[in-house]
Amino acid sequence: MRRTWALLLVFAIPTRIVGSLRDLLRRIAAALRTVAEYVWVRLVRLKRILLGTNPSRSEAAFSLLLLTSIAGVVGTFLFDQSLVAYPLVGMVGLGVVGWGTYQARTAKLLMLFATIATVLTIGFITYFLFERAWTPIQEFGLNLLAIPRHGDTGEPRWFFFLDWLDVLPVTAEGNVSGWDPRNGYYSLLAAAWATVIVTVIAVLVAGPLGVLGALFIAEIASDRVRSVVKPAIEILAGIPSIVYGFIGFAVLNTFMSDTFLDPGASFLIAGLVVGVMALPTVVSVSEDALSAVPDSMRDGSAAMGATNWQTMKSISLPAAFSGISAAIILGLGRALGETMAVAAIMSGGANFARPLYDIFDQSVTLTSRIATSYGSSTGMTKDVLFVAGVMLFSIVAVMSLLAQYVERRMERQLQGEQ
Amino acid sequence: MSDAYAQETTLVREDSNYVDRALDTTIALTIVSFLLGLLTAIQVVALTTGGNALTTLHLQLLAVVGGGIGTVGVLSWLGVVPITDQRVRGIGIGLVLSLLGLTILSVVLPVTMASLFGIVLLLEAAAVLTAGVLSWQGLFDTDPSPSAGLVAGIAFGIIGLLIGAAFGGMFLPSIAFSFGLPDGTLVSVDFAHLLPALVVGVALAAATIAPREDLGTAIPTMVLVGGLGLVILTGAIGPGWTWSPGEDIDGSFTGQIVIPLFVLVGSVVSSWGAAKARAGYGAVGRQFGSYLVIYLNAATMVAIMVSIVAFVLMKGLNYAFHGVTIGALSALVLLAPLLAVVVDWARTPAGTPDWHAGARQAFRAIPVVLVGGLAGWLAFLQVTGGRFAVPFQYTVKLPNENTNEVLDTAATITSEPTVGTLVVIFSGLLLTWYFLRKYGSLRSVGTQSDRLADVERWIGIAVGVTLLLSAVLLVLPPVLEVGVLFGVELFVWLNVDTIARPVVSVLVPVGAVAAISLAVLAIQTLVVGSGRMADRAFEGVHRIRVGLFGGVGLLAAVTIAQPSVGVNPRIGPWDIVPAVALVGAALAFTAGIVTAALARSADDRLERVLRKESALGLAATTGFVVVAALHVAVTWVDFTVAGVTVGVTGTLSWPMTMSSYIPLVPEPGGILPAVVGTVWLVVGAALFAVPLGVGAAVFLTEYAEQGKFTGLVEVATNSLWSTPSVVFGLFGAAFLIPRLGEQESLLTGMLVLGFMLLPLVLITSREAIKSVPDEYRDASAALGVSKWETVKSVVLPAAVPGVITGVILGVGRIAGETAPLILVLGSTLNETSVVDVLGAFRFVGHPPFVANDMLLASSPAVPTQIWAIISAGVAGSTSMGWGSALVLLLIVLTFYAVGIVTRSYFRRKLNYE
Repeated sequence: MRRTWALLLVFAIPTRIVGSLRDLLRRIAAALRTVAEYVWVRLVRLKRILLGTNPSRSEAAFSLLLLTSIAGVVGTFLFDQSLVAYPLVGMVGLGVVGWGTYQARTAKLLMLFATIATVLTIGFITYFLFERAWTPIQEFGLNLLAIPRHGDTGEPRWFFFLDWLDVLPVTAEGNVSGWDPRNGYYSLLAAAWATVIVTVIAVLVAGPLGVLGALFIAEIASDRVRSVVKPAIEILAGIPSIVYGFIGFAVLNTFMSDTFLDPGASFLIAGLVVGVMALPTVVSVSEDALSAVPDSMRDGSAAMGATNWQTMKSISLPAAFSGISAAIILGLGRALGETMAVAAIMSGGANFARPLYDIFDQSVTLTSRIATSYGSSTGMTKDVLFVAGVMLFSIVAVMSLLAQYVERRMERQLQGEQ
Repeated sequence: MSDAYAQETTLVREDSNYVDRALDTTIALTIVSFLLGLLTAIQVVALTTGGNALTTLHLQLLAVVGGGIGTVGVLSWLGVVPITDQRVRGIGIGLVLSLLGLTILSVVLPVTMASLFGIVLLLEAAAVLTAGVLSWQGLFDTDPSPSAGLVAGIAFGIIGLLIGAAFGGMFLPSIAFSFGLPDGTLVSVDFAHLLPALVVGVALAAATIAPREDLGTAIPTMVLVGGLGLVILTGAIGPGWTWSPGEDIDGSFTGQIVIPLFVLVGSVVSSWGAAKARAGYGAVGRQFGSYLVIYLNAATMVAIMVSIVAFVLMKGLNYAFHGVTIGALSALVLLAPLLAVVVDWARTPAGTPDWHAGARQAFRAIPVVLVGGLAGWLAFLQVTGGRFAVPFQYTVKLPNENTNEVLDTAATITSEPTVGTLVVIFSGLLLTWYFLRKYGSLRSVGTQSDRLADVERWIGIAVGVTLLLSAVLLVLPPVLEVGVLFGVELFVWLNVDTIARPVVSVLVPVGAVAAISLAVLAIQTLVVGSGRMADRAFEGVHRIRVGLFGGVGLLAAVTIAQPSVGVNPRIGPWDIVPAVALVGAALAFTAGIVTAALARSADDRLERVLRKESALGLAATTGFVVVAALHVAVTWVDFTVAGVTVGVTGTLSWPMTMSSYIPLVPEPGGILPAVVGTVWLVVGAALFAVPLGVGAAVFLTEYAEQGKFTGLVEVATNSLWSTPSVVFGLFGAAFLIPRLGEQESLLTGMLVLGFMLLPLVLITSREAIKSVPDEYRDASAALGVSKWETVKSVVLPAAVPGVITGVILGVGRIAGETAPLILVLGSTLNETSVVDVLGAFRFVGHPPFVANDMLLASSPAVPTQIWAIISAGVAGSTSMGWGSALVLLLIVLTFYAVGIVTRSYFRRKLNYE
């Protein structure tokens, strides 16, 4: 008995170990094969894209040459611009030669180059903004959004925003905006707050007017009226912001100081102007959303005996609700990024509004801070402006992503219901 | 909405009774008060206007409105423009009645504009209340719902909140509570605003929602509008009233703006109430009410757009157009393309042959008559040597002083017998394009011989070689110096001019002779031979085509070759190229006219071919004329024929955009450097972004697998599109400037604008390509056409209109961009020198071989010029700013107008097909 057990032990256990080992190896091999197959499939696909399904030897060689020259152009531009001429000449020459011989291939590779260049552009914009902004972020960290310090105690004042009426946010040096490059204070909080005020006023103008306008264009106007109003809105979008800015600078500021007895430049007028500028965005995107609501839904409502207004109010608007909120988000983004009109209207003042909700005060926004300070600044100040740029870029990008997500969802929902 | 039921239903009873009429008049009154409110808000009319001035104002308005509505009324009575809708009639009559009433009030009572507003608001409130009460008593046929609804309730609630807060803050003593925060700050909350706000808000909302709809509309409207009216009438808030919301707040509310705002709000609310009552409340009433508000909103938006453009025009016109001069002859040349447009418009079918088709035909002919008349007048000026001037004044800022001076200037039409090359080339190219579109293609008719095909090929090769030669000669310096090669100091001088000049000098006459013989060949085909001339024209269509187009092409090629070595071969007193061009133009014109004459008496198919040949002849005519002007432009030598000179400097002069700033004199000159800079920026950006964007769009749509990657790119481009422009500027400053010469430069500006344009081009191109139906691709694939051939000859041509529209609109947008340019291009005021990009290309012996100092130097641009004026503060000239703003607006809006017209043109074409 014992012997049998011993034999069993001697043979069976190692066998099992060996077996499981073998199993393991097999699995690893299988996994490797899958990976290899995956890579191989990808490689084959890449090769198909780059060289074609069944290239002749000369065609493959040509494709490789062209690819090399393309890579050379991109690489030299990035690292040593003086050399860029060589691969560029090669690329153009190969392109011209290829157009006569392997036209389809050349065209495809050049279009691939265009795509890669576009994608690279997007990547570079993100990378270089963050790269320049990284130094000040490392150096100052959250001080870039520094909470103002109490005039007497020097403590950070976390609740200064509740401090509506009488106390000003003051840094230790008595600098009220926190922006004092000469002494090394780089707080963007005042500018960020100004951006918020202007954007809120702008959206209060652009939101309701824009949605009503979109209702008019999408639901009420006849084709003929629409063919007049829509281009008019588009042209409104086309008026350059510097022209708005100049109108604000030369006329509206005086008008405001007449009617509101304020020093002229104010958040109110900047917000109103930016609101008019964001209006076309809101109108056209919400109009798209309203037009995307299937007619069958409106027909159903009309068949129940509802009036047009009831249909609009209870069918079209709720169905297009996500699209309209996307429109308002995009309008918000447009207002946030508006530079020249704000810079031209509010050309003086860089402090917090006092009190914080005083819309008759003036200050610089993030965008106008960049536009007005960049030329005259050096070193660290410039880098801090990149932080402002990064803030704008990220917020607007998030808004745009959100809007796109909301729009997609609405599209899916409406298609599902059809 | 489906057409089946989307027709106008009779919302309101056909016949109107007195209540309906009264309500229509109320609506009209609210419209009048809304307009007057707008006029006072923008301070066109002062609130303190009273007595005679007020009466005159109202009489003027009455005259305008009465005249307009009276005309329509007479036309309606005659049955020419029948107005049958009772609502439209009622409101029209109401407009006249209410203005009449206002005029009488302003005569009878000692009122000012402000107190009149009070009376008007009270009247409106009373009218709405009366309608509500009458309906509640059942004295008037209505169909009210049990409640006015939550939406109206919330709207009134919010208005109530605001009013309560404002009044509470004004009249109640402060009820403040203070408490400390952990970091030692003291916060006080004042309930003086909060309490009355809540009370008024809730009360108004309740008064709207609780009672039946007629009262629920009438009571809050009466309370609100009547309250506003009373406040204004009693002078509690008068024109001189001010109120500061807080001691620390920088601004105050003045009666100047508050009264107009009250009037605007009151008018909108009471027009909503009256419109509801007019339609008998209920679902229909609500629709009528809300539509009125939506219409007002849409009208306001269009009004904003129009007034911005009109305002800039008004402010900048005098400065921007100071000293504009044009020769009558140049004006005539510029009129030619316009004539083509109006003729085309007049040729479109004039509708059904009923009784007013005649009127429509006349209507279509009117533009042609106008253009023709203008042309006749210009010709008269030209022949009699007269001069026409419109004098006006404009303000300039004296240099180095903060004072303005008013200068006299005029817009003038002169009668010099000279026309500039640019004018001729511009008009000529437009006309050539127009005729080429009429020409289309004649591939499938006539006889095509092998010899002719050979000739055609050789012409193509000759043109190509000539152009290539000129390009090479243009780039090479006169003396070529090859520097260090392979470490050996090896200098080679090659005098390019001595070798090339004789070659080109021979090439030009040879090409000219060849061109003229080709043109003669075309005429000979028509004239010589047997049979009818029409048949010869039909059979020899390809010889005519090759003759005319080949002639123009060859001549254009040798013309461009001339300046590369600076020669201008001539025989006796005549320059060869323009002489040949004019003879060619005469020959081509003969061909065009002859075929047009033949077409008049030809049968259907033949007529069509002959008409196309005629268009071909005319296109070649304008082509030859363009070549003649091109010759003047490239050689800088004028030529005169029959007393008319085609000159290097023309007679069109627009100092604002065609001259540079002149320092130290009051005459301000213009902003030519900025305009040129903007043009280069736009051209550079488009050259960079369009190929990349379109290429990427084709690849992503046609080649790449639709999956995660394409989705990601799409999301990324959409985000890039909404990225603030100033961020692009930062990117340019961080990425491009260190790589392109470490300084603000034109090239960086071009590339940054190109980066901005890229996402738009990509998005619109992708949309355009996606909207090409898959049937096209399938059909092409079914014929065995390869993928690339399909893309090239099926997909892209179908997508081109969308791509073009997107590019034009995008270019319009970037042309006005300022923020990124401030960062990468700098902003300079009153630049005096113009960038010369083309002339600055140099060939250098070391990488990158081609250098251009101008591209790497800073340049002004129109938007940055305006910014420079703004940032100069008092030192900047405001009038010059308005002028520049107008020029920029004109540039941008031209792009937009062209883009929108192109789009609607292509859309209509697609819909018809």
